[in-house]
Amino acid sequence: MLTKEFVSLIAEASGLSKKDAEQLLSTTNAIMRENLMAGKAIQLQGLGVLEIKERQARIIVHPRTGERTTIPSKNQLVFRPVANMKDELKKV
Amino acid sequence: MADKLSWTELRRALASRAGVTEKVAGTFLNALAEQLKEGLRTDKQVKINGLGTFKLQAVAPRKSVNINTGEEIVIEGYNKVVFSPEAGVKEMIESNQPSDVSHQPAEGDFPIDPIKKLGEQADEIVGLLADLGQDPNKEAETEEPEPVVEPEPVVVPEPVVKPEPVVEPEPVVEPEPIVKPEPVVVPEPIVKPEPVKEDKPKKPKKYHFLRDLLICVIVLLLLLGGGYLLIRNRLSSWLESLAQPQQPQTEQVEDTISAPPSDEAETESRSQIDMIPEGDIPQQQILDEFLAISDGIEQEEAPYSDLITTEEMHAGSRLTWMSKRFYGDKRYWPYLYDANRDRITNPSNIEIGTPIRVPRLTAEQLDTTNANSRAELERLRIEAEAACRK
Repeated sequence: MLTKEFVSLIAEASGLSKKDAEQLLSTTNAIMRENLMAGKAIQLQGLGVLEIKERQARIIVHPRTGERTTIPSKNQLVFRPVANMKDELKKV
Repeated sequence: MADKLSWTELRRALASRAGVTEKVAGTFLNALAEQLKEGLRTDKQVKINGLGTFKLQAVAPRKSVNINTGEEIVIEGYNKVVFSPEAGVKEMIESNQPSDVSHQPAEGDFPIDPIKKLGEQADEIVGLLADLGQDPNKEAETEEPEPVVEPEPVVVPEPVVKPEPVVEPEPVVEPEPIVKPEPVVVPEPIVKPEPVKEDKPKKPKKYHFLRDLLICVIVLLLLLGGGYLLIRNRLSSWLESLAQPQQPQTEQVEDTISAPPSDEAETESRSQIDMIPEGDIPQQQILDEFLAISDGIEQEEAPYSDLITTEEMHAGSRLTWMSKRFYGDKRYWPYLYDANRDRITNPSNIEIGTPIRVPRLTAEQLDTTNANSRAELERLRIEAEAACRK
């Protein structure tokens, strides 16, 4: 499902106009991004948590040359679903 | 992440930012959560521009074993919720520029510049990898530019929306022209892969050449060494066999003859084995000697007058061991028995504390190459073993 369809579904469910829904969605995204960049996790009620996790730096070895290079640590955006949601979607 | 933006906080922020009441924001967010779940249920995938994609990933059923009972069980397949952030968002978070300012221009600038640069990068990498042949990096590197194409539509709605209703986002929008911090970030990934990839085609050639040379040299050395040892061994054994052809034969015969008894069972079996190959000769000699013994044992005992010492039998000692200690070989034990016939009834079971006379043996008796002394020794041994059986 793409954003357009998703927006229209939200609009239908919430009784807002499509335009408003779209605007609200993009604003929500912006807020989320800002908070994520500030190091905050975001709780989505009934869904889960969007959070930033650190991937540890690691050493890789090139299989042919045996050359070793380090991959620096990096942050990743991770979604951790709530147990409730997990169970609901286990069997679809 | 200790800090968490709660649902209510999000609602409040949304309300103030978008200029709507909290109630509207609340209904919107609830609808969002519900539709997201519903969308996953129906489409297994919900894409939200400006954030990422929520997906339902199927985990196939697999076999396992019950730890307690060892029974085979099947773990049923299920679906797993997975979120993959949009390329632009991903890069933002990876580079982790904490300022709220930087990410807004990122919306506008990211999709345009990096696409070209990533495209160029990909071409370079593909070219380099083609030289190397197959490489797992190929997939990873070539995949990257694809998702970058998606964020393009994002650019259209967002900048249009923000400046209109709200006052707050404006400071956020202002820095848009400041493209400078971005290019700093972008060139980094370009620089990194290049030296790594350029090194690859050069190094393996040197490495392989040196390694092959080393292996060749080692194998040659090993072959030469092995050949040398083989030839030397053969030569020496051949020379030995030329020089002393008779000695080993006699020694072998003696070995079979001289088997010391340690247990009754052993002596029995050995004497049986020995009797067979020896044939008639020793038996005839035995008859002769028995006749001689019946005439007078004193004659025989006479040569044992010269004693080295007299030793008491102690627990664990054996005639063979004493023979080995005094004469240098356990084969001469029958002489010990012969010298102590009056005290020993069973040579394999001598009473502890029995004083054993150890006679000095003549050179002739000790000479194993002498046929007479060998026959004598053999006779004594057969007698001793006969005594064991009594």
